[in-house]
Amino acid sequence: MGKFLKLIASAAVVNLAAGSLAMAQDGPITIGVQVPTTGSEATYGKDMYNAMMLAADEINADGGLLNGRQIELVTGDTACDPQQSVNAASRLASQEVVGVVGGYCSGATQPTLKTYGDANIPFVIVAANSTQLIPANPGNAVMINSTGDDQAKTALEFFEGKDIEKLAIVNQGDAYSQDLANLTRDAWTGAGHTVSAFEYVNKGEQDFSALVNKIRGSGAEAVFWTAYYADGGLLIRQLRQRGFQGTIAVGDGSNSPELFNIAGQAAEGVFAFSNPTADFLPAAKQFTSDYESRFGNAPGPYAPLAYDGMQLMAWAIDKAGSTDGDAIIKALNSADGQEWLAGPISFTPQHTLARSNFVVLEGQGGKWTRYEE
Amino acid sequence: MTWYDSFLQQLVDGLVLGSFYALVALGYTMVFGVIKLLNFAHGDLYMTGAFAGFGGLSLVSGFLGAGWLGIFVAMLLAMLAVGCLGVVIERVAYHPMLGAPRLSILITALAVSLVLQNAALALTGGQYTAFRTDLGFGGFNLGNLFLSHNQIVLVATAAVLMIALELFVSRTLYGRAMRAVSIDKDMCRMMGINVSAVIAVTFFIGSGLAAAAGTMAGAYYGSIWYFMGFLIGLKAFTAAVIGGIGSITGAMLGGLILGLLESFGTHIPFIGSEWKDVFTFSILILVLVFKPTGLLGKSEVERM
Repeated sequence: MGKFLKLIASAAVVNLAAGSLAMAQDGPITIGVQVPTTGSEATYGKDMYNAMMLAADEINADGGLLNGRQIELVTGDTACDPQQSVNAASRLASQEVVGVVGGYCSGATQPTLKTYGDANIPFVIVAANSTQLIPANPGNAVMINSTGDDQAKTALEFFEGKDIEKLAIVNQGDAYSQDLANLTRDAWTGAGHTVSAFEYVNKGEQDFSALVNKIRGSGAEAVFWTAYYADGGLLIRQLRQRGFQGTIAVGDGSNSPELFNIAGQAAEGVFAFSNPTADFLPAAKQFTSDYESRFGNAPGPYAPLAYDGMQLMAWAIDKAGSTDGDAIIKALNSADGQEWLAGPISFTPQHTLARSNFVVLEGQGGKWTRYEE
Repeated sequence: MTWYDSFLQQLVDGLVLGSFYALVALGYTMVFGVIKLLNFAHGDLYMTGAFAGFGGLSLVSGFLGAGWLGIFVAMLLAMLAVGCLGVVIERVAYHPMLGAPRLSILITALAVSLVLQNAALALTGGQYTAFRTDLGFGGFNLGNLFLSHNQIVLVATAAVLMIALELFVSRTLYGRAMRAVSIDKDMCRMMGINVSAVIAVTFFIGSGLAAAAGTMAGAYYGSIWYFMGFLIGLKAFTAAVIGGIGSITGAMLGGLILGLLESFGTHIPFIGSEWKDVFTFSILILVLVFKPTGLLGKSEVERM
C-alpha cells in the first residue's frame, strides 16, 4: 500500500473516531438490554426488562449520568436461543451501546460473550449463571447472580436434610440445565449418595410418560428438575399423575409463578431453589411497590437482580467518568461490597459474585413461600 | 417394578402417545391421498386446534363445567372451527396451486405452517397458556401398573373418532368419492364427481381430527403454546410414512406403532430418554430406505 493511501486511511479513522466521540459526548448514553422477550422464557425476559426500565428511569429522573446525560435502553431479544442471541448481540454492538445488561438463558448468553468481548463492551450478566460462562468470559463481563456451583451445594444440603439417598436428576440439554445437573450429580455422588437416574428431555416435548416410568422404576426418592418452568410444570404434573410420591425440587429456572398455572395442584409441596426474589428481600420493599404501581403486577424472580444490574452499570459508568469500555469494565470489577437490593456485590477474580445467594422455597396455596427446615 | 409391570406400563403409555400420533397422521395421509400434498401445516392445525379447544372450553365451562363433558363440547367446537380453517387454507393457499409443480405447493405448505405458527406467537406473546380443566389425577393402580382415567377416556375417544372415520370412508358416498379421487382425479371429474368439494371435505375432516388431538393434548398435558405442533407434526408425518402414506388404516397403525416404539425405545439399555427423537427419526429413515411405501401403502411410480 502506498504512503498516500495509508494517510487517507488513517485520516479517515481519525475522522471517524472524532465523529463518534463528539456524538458520544452529548447524546444519551445507550445501554443494551439483552433478554428474551419472545419464546418460552418471555415471561422472565419482559419482567427483567421492566425492572431495568424502572432503574433507568429513576437514574434519569435523578439527573442522569456523567453531567446530565440520559440513559436510553435498546432491547436485543435473544428468545433464549443461541443463534438468535448472537444476532441480537451483534445488532446491539453495531448500535454502539456503552454497555449491556441482561442475560437470562445461559445457553443463549454464552455465545454473546465473544461478541461483546470483541467489541470491548462491558456486560453485566444479571440472571444467567451456568459455570460454563466463566471460562467463556473474555474479561469484559461480570456475573451478579450466584453460579450453578452454589446452587448444587444448596441442593446437596437440601436433599441430605430430607434424608434422601437415591436422587433422579433431569435436565434439558441446554448449557444452564445440563451444567446444574452435572454439578449436582458430582456433588451428590461425591457425598456418597446414589444418582438413580440421570436423564435428559427434549425441549418442547409434552409427553414424559417413558421418563416418569424410568424414574419410578429406578427407585428414586426424589427428583431434581434443573431446567425451566414450562416443561418442568409438565413433568411435575405427570410425575404426580402417575403416582410419584417422593420429593420434587426444581432449579432456579423454574421458580416462576407460571409453574403453578401449568402444573396446577401437582405443584403443591414442590421445592425450588431460588435466587433472592423481591418477596424475600427486606431491601426490595420500595422497589416492589414502585414496580407494582407502574406495571400492575408483582416483580418476577429476576426483577431485583435485573434492577441491580442496571444500577451497577450506571454506577460503574459514573465511577469510570466516561463511556470508555475499558474504564467501565475496570470500575465494574472494583465493586467492593456495596449493598444493592439483592445484597452486597463484589467479584471474584473470575468475575463471578463472591457469595452464594440461594434460598429454598416451597409451593403452597399456588405460590412460592420461603421454606425453613 | 418387575419387567412384566414395566412392559405393561410401556404398552399403555405407548398407546396413549400413539393415539395422538394416529389422529394427526390421519390428516397427513388423507390430504396426501387426495391431492398428493405433504401438508406440513398440519402440525400447526393441531396447535391451532389446541387453542380453539382452549377458547371453546372457556366458553362452555360456565354451564357445562371443565370436566370431560365440557372438554368434549369444546373439542367438537374446535373440530368445527379448525375444520373450517383447514378448508379456507385449502381454498386460499393450495387450490390455486393444484396445477403447479409439486415442489411449489410443498413450499406453500411450509409457508402456511409459518403463518399459523407466527400468528399464534404474536397472539400469545410466545407464552405458555395453562389449559385448566377439572380433570383429576385419579386412576387405577393394578399392581405397579398405573392407568389413569384420563388415559382411558383419551384412548377411547381416539378410537371412536378413528372408527367413525373408517366407516365414513368405507360406507358413505362421500367416502367412496374420496377414495375415487385419490385414485384418479381426472376420471372422477369425467364421472361427474365434484372433485373440488371432495378435497374440501377431506381438508375439513383431516383438520378436524388434528383439532381433536390438539384439544385432548391440551386437556391431558395441561399447557399449550405456539410451537407445540412442530414436533408432533414431524412425528405424525413419520407415523404416516411408517403406515404407508395415503393409507388411512396405515396412518392409524403407523401412529400406534410409533407411539409404542418410542415408549419401549427409551427403555433399551444404554439408550436414555435423550435418544427418543433420534430413535424416532432413525425409524423414518429406515422405512424410507427399505420400504418407502410403508406397511400398507400401495407402490406408485411418481412420489414426492
